[in-house]
Amino acid sequence: MPARTPVGPIALWRSQSGRAAASADRCPHRGMRLSHGFVRGEALSCIYHGWSYARAGNCLRIPAHPGLAPPETIRVPTHEVEECDGVIWVAVGEATAQPPRLQGVVPLRSLTAHAAVAAIEAAAGAKAGVDGFAWQPQSKLQIRLLLVPQGAEETLIHVLLDDDSSLSQRIAASRAVETLRRTAEDLETKATAP
Amino acid sequence: MTHDAMIDEWYPVGLFSQLDTNARKTALMGRPIEVAVEAEGHARVTSGDGRSLPVCVRYGHVWSSLGKPQKDLFAIPEADQPGRTLVDVGVIRVRCSPLRAVENFLDIAHFPFVHTDILGAEPHTEVQDYKVEVRQDADEVWATQVKFYQPQAAKSASGGITTEYMYRVPAPTCCVLYKTCPPRPGEWDVITLFVQPLAEDLCDVWPWMALFDDATPMTDLIHFQQTIFLQDRSILENQIPRLLPLDPGMEIPTRADLTSVAYRRWLKRHNYTYGAQLVAQ
Repeated sequence: MPARTPVGPIALWRSQSGRAAASADRCPHRGMRLSHGFVRGEALSCIYHGWSYARAGNCLRIPAHPGLAPPETIRVPTHEVEECDGVIWVAVGEATAQPPRLQGVVPLRSLTAHAAVAAIEAAAGAKAGVDGFAWQPQSKLQIRLLLVPQGAEETLIHVLLDDDSSLSQRIAASRAVETLRRTAEDLETKATAP
Repeated sequence: MTHDAMIDEWYPVGLFSQLDTNARKTALMGRPIEVAVEAEGHARVTSGDGRSLPVCVRYGHVWSSLGKPQKDLFAIPEADQPGRTLVDVGVIRVRCSPLRAVENFLDIAHFPFVHTDILGAEPHTEVQDYKVEVRQDADEVWATQVKFYQPQAAKSASGGITTEYMYRVPAPTCCVLYKTCPPRPGEWDVITLFVQPLAEDLCDVWPWMALFDDATPMTDLIHFQQTIFLQDRSILENQIPRLLPLDPGMEIPTRADLTSVAYRRWLKRHNYTYGAQLVAQ
């Protein structure tokens, strides 16, 4: 699947054995987006000509030349990936620390806001750290939000909730975050209005 | 800015059979134009500033140019051969460089992955060596002896066959494909791709065919080609960058891409750079 990071679009995929991997979203052969590709075994293949890449980014196979061992120089840039507590983390550049632990919560949903991180922080009255921030829109509803900037004007919001939340709490949390998104988008519009 | 030699080329701007006195509003290389066929049957192309542009009608299409074409539109002798069914496929708009659209048409290695079970199928993915040349007399890029296994090479094919292809690039945004003709061995089916550059990163693709096939209904012939081109569009709109890179460092070709390599060199040598990216960004 495609995903956006501060250093550009990536193709995020899970191998057959279950390991998550991330590479630049562009096949070096003819520029096709690798996020349109397909996974077979432990490799991601480009949908255009079937060139396949290992998790480490090296090209494993060029179907037009089945007898050829692809040279080491054909490779796609990759990113370090960690999966913990139900969240996949991608490092941009060299990772200096393990991702934060988010124990006791489970992912609920993700949604995109047409607003910058600052507008969402303002709407929630909180400041995000590496592990996002805790938000309590109403009593008995404790939500953790992870914010990922998608360019300057969009933010991907990952919503996590206590793992013992009831169905009605999960629905309430989902609604609350949608309200937060509207508030943040209104703030953003006002901030950018001439 | 250097003068782009492509300004003086002919481009398709509409299907003659679908035009009338009501002008079709379209664009050519970033400029608005209008195309009409007058009551007495003459095609007329006008630029946004009211200027009359050069016109010719060939291969089912009206052709025009913003500049001054130095020669007549290229010849396709097979178009006049008796017994062929001429197919006006219609138009497919693609958000990509016109040059990327042509290059994709020249490529066979994508058949098993993009046109799965029609023009190709795994495990038959190997591209055998073929010949590529620039024919000096006509100044055209040619690829010959191109062979590929195809599960359903044409609407008239009933099973898998090894198809032989010849490709010809007679103009920067036009390509003529000659292909094994299942019902008539010894003859070639002709399938063309005429590309109208609307902008550097937007084009209208007008496929056209001259086939030996009097059994398949016209609608089915058109549907077959449209299916193929819609599959191609899902690729063309997702290549990065949208423009065709002419800098050899940007992309990695292999032996299977010799036609594309020759096409890119030929474009560069002629300064055919509308829709091209010259320097890596």
